[in-house]
Amino acid sequence: MLITPVAKTLTDPSLAEFAKFAKEKWNITVKTSALAAGTPVAYGRIVEWKGRPEADIFWGGESALFDKLTEQKLLMRLDLPKAVVDSIPNSIGKPKPIPLKDPKGFWIGTVLEPYGLVYHPKIFARLGIPEPKDWDDLLHPKLKGNVAQCAPTRSSSSHATYEVLLQRDGDAKGWEWLKRLGGNTGIFTARSRDVPSVVAKGEFAAGFAVPSYMAFEDRLAGFELKFVAPKTAWITPEPIAVLAGAKHPKAARAFIEFMLSERGQRVAMERGVFPITPKYRVQGAPGSTAELAVEFTGGMRSYFDREVTNIYDDDIAQKRYEQVNSQFRKDIESAWEELKKKY
Amino acid sequence: MRLPRATSAILGFAVIWAFLIIFVVFPLIRIFYDAFTGEAGEFTLVNFAEFFTDSFYLRSLWKSLLLGLAAVFTTSVIGIAVALLLIRYEFPYRNLFSYLTMLPLILPPLVGVLGFVFILGRAGTVNILLMDWFGLEQPINFMYGVQGVLLVETIHLFPMMTLSILDALSKVDPTLEEAAQGMGAKGWRRLRDITLPLTTPGYISGALLVFIWTFADFITPLVLGVQDLLAPQAYLNIMQFVDRRIFRMGIVISALLVILAILFVLAARQYVALKDYSSLAYSRVERRQLGPVRRWLAVGFLSLLLFISFMPQVGVMFAAVGRGWALTPFPVVYTLEFFRQVSIETPKFILNSIIFSGIAVALCLVVGVPMAWILGRTRTPGRNTMDALTTLILAIPGTAIGIAYIRAFNFPLPVVDIPLTSMWIILPLVLAVRRLPYTVRGSLSSLLLVHKSMEEAAENVGATKLQVFRDITVPLVWKGILVGALFSFLTSIQEASATIFLTLGGWEMMPFGIFTFYIAGSQSQAAALGVILIAMCAISLYIVNRIAGTRVGGLFG
Repeated sequence: MLITPVAKTLTDPSLAEFAKFAKEKWNITVKTSALAAGTPVAYGRIVEWKGRPEADIFWGGESALFDKLTEQKLLMRLDLPKAVVDSIPNSIGKPKPIPLKDPKGFWIGTVLEPYGLVYHPKIFARLGIPEPKDWDDLLHPKLKGNVAQCAPTRSSSSHATYEVLLQRDGDAKGWEWLKRLGGNTGIFTARSRDVPSVVAKGEFAAGFAVPSYMAFEDRLAGFELKFVAPKTAWITPEPIAVLAGAKHPKAARAFIEFMLSERGQRVAMERGVFPITPKYRVQGAPGSTAELAVEFTGGMRSYFDREVTNIYDDDIAQKRYEQVNSQFRKDIESAWEELKKKY
Repeated sequence: MRLPRATSAILGFAVIWAFLIIFVVFPLIRIFYDAFTGEAGEFTLVNFAEFFTDSFYLRSLWKSLLLGLAAVFTTSVIGIAVALLLIRYEFPYRNLFSYLTMLPLILPPLVGVLGFVFILGRAGTVNILLMDWFGLEQPINFMYGVQGVLLVETIHLFPMMTLSILDALSKVDPTLEEAAQGMGAKGWRRLRDITLPLTTPGYISGALLVFIWTFADFITPLVLGVQDLLAPQAYLNIMQFVDRRIFRMGIVISALLVILAILFVLAARQYVALKDYSSLAYSRVERRQLGPVRRWLAVGFLSLLLFISFMPQVGVMFAAVGRGWALTPFPVVYTLEFFRQVSIETPKFILNSIIFSGIAVALCLVVGVPMAWILGRTRTPGRNTMDALTTLILAIPGTAIGIAYIRAFNFPLPVVDIPLTSMWIILPLVLAVRRLPYTVRGSLSSLLLVHKSMEEAAENVGATKLQVFRDITVPLVWKGILVGALFSFLTSIQEASATIFLTLGGWEMMPFGIFTFYIAGSQSQAAALGVILIAMCAISLYIVNRIAGTRVGGLFG
């Protein structure tokens, strides 16, 4: 049993493939289920369960939350085979390395997934403006009322991307940038998952801070939207961990090991995320979903093929987490009407 | 009085009170406890002070109140017009309209607003047609904003107003109006002096429900990007658990929603109390034939209303069968794949819905029918409190109940050592509590229609109380009970606001499924499940309508 903010289109095939794998290897029938909940909700429920969890595994979100859970003794040490752990590098990215596994061994990354932006090419064509490449392109005056975003208080991907902009431009200019984005915003959605949905449907032209696989799901569902990960986009390793007090710790560990095996990684790669080890690359027969994913994310096959830039510092972000939230609430959420007029 | 029967009566009475105290009073106390304490558990008013000094929260409160009033206004205008037309006049297809105008009420949460967005959104059918045909550059913003919320609530809730008025009007003895007319009070005068005062209680209770419903709905505003309202703030603050301070503010706002609901009920108390049935006879109303022009005006008005009202259904229907539908007036690729996925591939949504709602209705009957009997036929102490509690349940937002349950029942139970929140029975329980008032009211209004003298007569010829209940009372009131039960089923199967907070993996009911599909971005699957749910509800409502006629209104009043 998983509790996860990762959407069904990634969890369901992973679980199904794992069940098949278990049947083949050990001749055991594993019953799996996933409880979908946004990162904050999932985290909150785990805390509320107080060590008597209803799920075995927590998958997805930011590694900082996993560290917080470790502190509260709500996670179990993973004790994965050394070869599996060693296949994953400690970190990726410069100048600020992104940790891909917990040195203490409570959580481990599963895939690499950028938080970028989405847009609907048809609307951009109609508005007569070039397709966006970087964050700054969202501030185009013709996009007024046409940008969708989710408040950083509601969405961890949005919070992280707010931090990317604040750390890129510094506080003063960063907030000014975010206010201008607020002025262009047509909707603050309730959840980050809604951002690609409303863009896919054509309700809004572009969306801010979207995990790649979420956008890819809409592409798989037949919508025309596109995804771009700007150079400074943050990448999450989608950590996974076993909850302390889990009822099926063995099956949980087996699942995690499976996800890190080639078979597990291949399942994930078909869904618009990237492998966590340099061993594999997103690749498939022409016309396969894997190839569609490569095309969708701009031709990239692995993050280990290239220099990865990361300017997001999680320590800074975690220290001022609440301060950024309340400043957003005061300067952007509450002042939205004024921002729309001002910019 | 023989002792054994008295003992069993007392026992039954105690069981009902225990149910009410454990599942209604205790969770509410828990949520108030949370709202009035700090992190360390000490008593404090800081939380409320924070609310009332925060300009954003104050604006949310103010906007919520205004939106509620606006919804009362719009639903009144439409609801009263429809009710008057349906009950006083004869025109073509009157019976069909009578059924169809009730249908918007059974639009499940989320489905209504999604459907409207598919048709009236920025990339909805209407805007796309305008842009394609008339070269409109920027889409017209029908939906995103308070105007969209008001539209959705108005269409969803006007039937509630219609039903309340219909119910009240059909209780007005026409002889009273005739008498007034005979004494020279005509037209407006008669309406003002006779009809209005007699229908006020029905109207007020309808208005109260519209107000509280709008006030407490968080799903509609959220989909439309309106977050500066109270209910969405409660939901959003609670759904982010990371920041404990914001989380606590969510609980505080929920507590505030409960307090406000109580205040509203108190303010309207004299109108919504159960006992005040001005006249209990459902009278046959003579309908007047409308002239040819007016007749078609009436048909035209109702058709236009239905045209708008059925936009959501049409929208979700298209979304359910259309693949990758975006920026075209209608879907381009059609498929039944989504229906297969949500029914045959994962039947749990439909099965859970039927099972849990069924159990909830059974619980409602076991607790609610005796409650109606206590309220209508006995003079036991605590009756008024029981009555007030029933009305209160009707008024408390589902969101608050869901939150209250998750806070209140998260401790391991004595014998089994599992918290109630980990047992699936909590879903039927919370549904039963939420729908209990319908059962109580449905049963009570029928019970009050059975004259006590009939029961007394039977008793005089030697029947025991039990025999009287079985042979006289039940045959006379079963219809009302059945209608109440069906209505409880119908509304349970649509419930999302409380259950969203309590659902664990494997227990998903249809509205939760719609919600998770929507969250996961699978709008088509959400729509397919929505269509199935609407169909199931439409059938139940049709049965209710056949059995009960206009009497469904009495359930709200």
